[in-house]
Amino acid sequence: MAEKRKKKLGIKQRYSMLTRGLGWDTTYQDMDKVFPYDNYEGIIIHDWEGWEDPFRLTMDAYWKFQSEKEKKLYAVIDSFAQNNGHLGITDARYVNALKLFLTGVSPLEYQAARGFTHVGRQFRGVGPRVACQMQAIDELRHVQTQIHSMSHYNKYFDGLHSAPHMHDRVWYLSVPKSFFDDARTAGPFEFLTSISFAFEYVLTNLLFVPFMSGAAFNGDMATVTFGFSAQSDEARHMTLGLEVIKFMLEQDERNIPIVQRWMDKWFWRGTRMLALVAMMMDYMLPKRVMSWREAWDIYFTEAGGALFADLARYGIKPPKYADIATKEAEHISHQAWHIFYNYTHAAAFHTWVPGKEELDWLSEKYPTTFDKYYRPRLEYLDKEEKAGRRFYNDTLPMLCQVCQIPMGFTDMDDPTTISFEVSEYNGDKYHTCSLGCKDIFDYEPAKYVQAWLPVHQIYQGNCGGAEVPDVLKWYNFNLGADNLEYNGSPDQKLWDEWQAHRKKA
Amino acid sequence: MSYALTIEPIGEVLEVEEGQTILDACLRAGIYIPYQCNHGLCSTCKVEVVEGDVDLGDASPFALMDFERDEGKALACVCTLQSDVVIEADIEEDEDAEYLAIKDYKGTVSEVVDLTPDVKKIIISLDEEVDFQAGQYIQLDIPAVDGPRAFSIANSPDNSDHIELHVRLVEGGQGTNYLHNELVVGDILSFSAPYGHFFVRKSQNKPMIFIAGGTGLSSPKSMIEELLKAGYGEKITLFHGVRAAADLYYQKYFEELAEKHENFSYIPALSEKKAGDDWGGEVGYVHEAAERYFDGSFAGHQAYLCGPPPMIEASIRALMKGRLFENDIYCEKFLSKADGGGDKRSPLFKRI
Repeated sequence: MAEKRKKKLGIKQRYSMLTRGLGWDTTYQDMDKVFPYDNYEGIIIHDWEGWEDPFRLTMDAYWKFQSEKEKKLYAVIDSFAQNNGHLGITDARYVNALKLFLTGVSPLEYQAARGFTHVGRQFRGVGPRVACQMQAIDELRHVQTQIHSMSHYNKYFDGLHSAPHMHDRVWYLSVPKSFFDDARTAGPFEFLTSISFAFEYVLTNLLFVPFMSGAAFNGDMATVTFGFSAQSDEARHMTLGLEVIKFMLEQDERNIPIVQRWMDKWFWRGTRMLALVAMMMDYMLPKRVMSWREAWDIYFTEAGGALFADLARYGIKPPKYADIATKEAEHISHQAWHIFYNYTHAAAFHTWVPGKEELDWLSEKYPTTFDKYYRPRLEYLDKEEKAGRRFYNDTLPMLCQVCQIPMGFTDMDDPTTISFEVSEYNGDKYHTCSLGCKDIFDYEPAKYVQAWLPVHQIYQGNCGGAEVPDVLKWYNFNLGADNLEYNGSPDQKLWDEWQAHRKKA
Repeated sequence: MSYALTIEPIGEVLEVEEGQTILDACLRAGIYIPYQCNHGLCSTCKVEVVEGDVDLGDASPFALMDFERDEGKALACVCTLQSDVVIEADIEEDEDAEYLAIKDYKGTVSEVVDLTPDVKKIIISLDEEVDFQAGQYIQLDIPAVDGPRAFSIANSPDNSDHIELHVRLVEGGQGTNYLHNELVVGDILSFSAPYGHFFVRKSQNKPMIFIAGGTGLSSPKSMIEELLKAGYGEKITLFHGVRAAADLYYQKYFEELAEKHENFSYIPALSEKKAGDDWGGEVGYVHEAAERYFDGSFAGHQAYLCGPPPMIEASIRALMKGRLFENDIYCEKFLSKADGGGDKRSPLFKRI
């Protein structure tokens, strides 16, 4: 056995020596006035020193790391562009997943940057403040690198030209947008519970892993590289999510019911938003990674189960309605795709009926439900389209007051009956898609009655005009190119030409 | 082929198998290095290689930059050794850890006594002193049994010319069957020691709670004997949970100890009191006895848990409900060979 070595100063001690005295209590102003937001949510903190910063990163080191990551990433992006990387993807249908990501998810990174910038000012504890500030810069880097990674596709494919503009206006993009609006307008602790814990920790593997493995499976190396570059930041983000939960739960027992309510709320809001990812996995990837059902079982039921088993020690219960969400994993991708198939004339990406082999794959992955409920409908739509009667739904759907998804999801025990709930507030009726969304509404009705619901706004004349084409122009869509069925789209035409050239060569 | 891995700043030395990652070796030895993805992608487990050759494995170029590779950084979750290696990791130093070197010993069985119908006390006498911290365990080689078995040391380090073990007969267990049925006074046994990170954090000067289940009494006995002898000033409370009165042992010993020391209390509890048991003490699970005794409030204490996994888990929940958290909870799980890999955990907790 080797000899024992002499002890020296640990990394933690060195860091505390380096940063000592950099945080201080104010003297001529009351701390409560300087930090007015960190106690009004009811979270009680006795000792801010109880916050453990596991990263101990200095700003100097932070810049050095991030600039190295950028150098690497941009080298890959450049070579992807120079080598016409877009020709190496499996099929042009894949790009529709990128369209959804760029308009639906990338702007959330920017929203996250805004949120973390805000709360990075609001905590009186130095540890969380610095962690939030660094994360704010990470998020800005993520939105920027995502736009740059995908900009190459914008040269050839439709629907990628106005992501931020669309994010603010387009009906289905109000689903992710309202999620972050809700989080950013909450207090700082709820913001961290929603984004750092529920989103970055509990649900992140259901959002990023499917997109990034989807990219890898479908030959999109630019997006894969972005994924690796971002993932090296995510560890810090996930740790922040776990740390804030432990911190709140350990500081005072009166925090427990508040944290539980936030977990219930943000778990449900998160799963609602993930309906978009579910349909991406099951329908939009020409080469599939795994089914949504499988992803849910691995990342939520198993990994989330281990987490909530540990949280039970604090008296935290698994999120309310987790059982319903698990039932939904069997149905939600099919129902969401069907909604978009109905309204793809008003969407900035294409939809289609999967080919026979793809339908067989879905039958295999969803043996008890797909053939019974969804395959006959898709085959019918396919027949109609081939007969020149591609179905588009010309009425506008009712949206859930909370998650803002069209109310097309069903009761999970009865997949032929639409699910909806009604609440009353100040003499008006408000509709929600589920018990989960109804609970959220009922707890803070004054907040959710202010929701900017795209369909209501269209009917009120706030979205460019009375006719669908007026609204789509207001969305900045190129009509006939960005929207409608994939078969016959300019994307498909271009792709087929490239493939024909390739055959000739 | 295996290599020696030295971990700074604590100076601990581990044996690492060929192909075994640094992280795996550390976690198995009870040394916590912060980690997250376990796939070389996230960089949470970054360590510095101070000496020796390593294979960096499948570390993502974004999680371990080129300049960091040049500086000798590595990701513990994918890094393997190619020589004896010294690393520096983000490990918090434990003021009370003595980081004693592990050595091999040979001793003579000098006593085999029944403590209960299924627990034997075994004393192994030695010609030399054994270096260990109260609470640590030995790896005992048992004749005709594959691989060593772990047993906690029940005597205090002040009395280290022998090792006292409490061995419960595990049904179908090769090792304990041998010790119960074959072992006789005069036999020679070899073992290596000391192992484990279960020792008292006395430098923090907090009142201590010990919760022991069955033969989980061994470590607390060693720890409490040492503390009382050294004149530890804070309150010490020992809860010992067994099934029925026949399973309780050392009751008189601890009662006498409690009479002698004002700061020491002893509370045995029976979870399955039998009809004929002459018993006026606590009935129910041992963590429930602790909850009653402390009126459900544990804040400000330090807790040491030793026993089977269900007892540990129930006790952790009771303690956390009573506002005592990971930083003040230490545990030693008694797993038998049959318990296997254990359950899946999240990264929420590091040690418990």
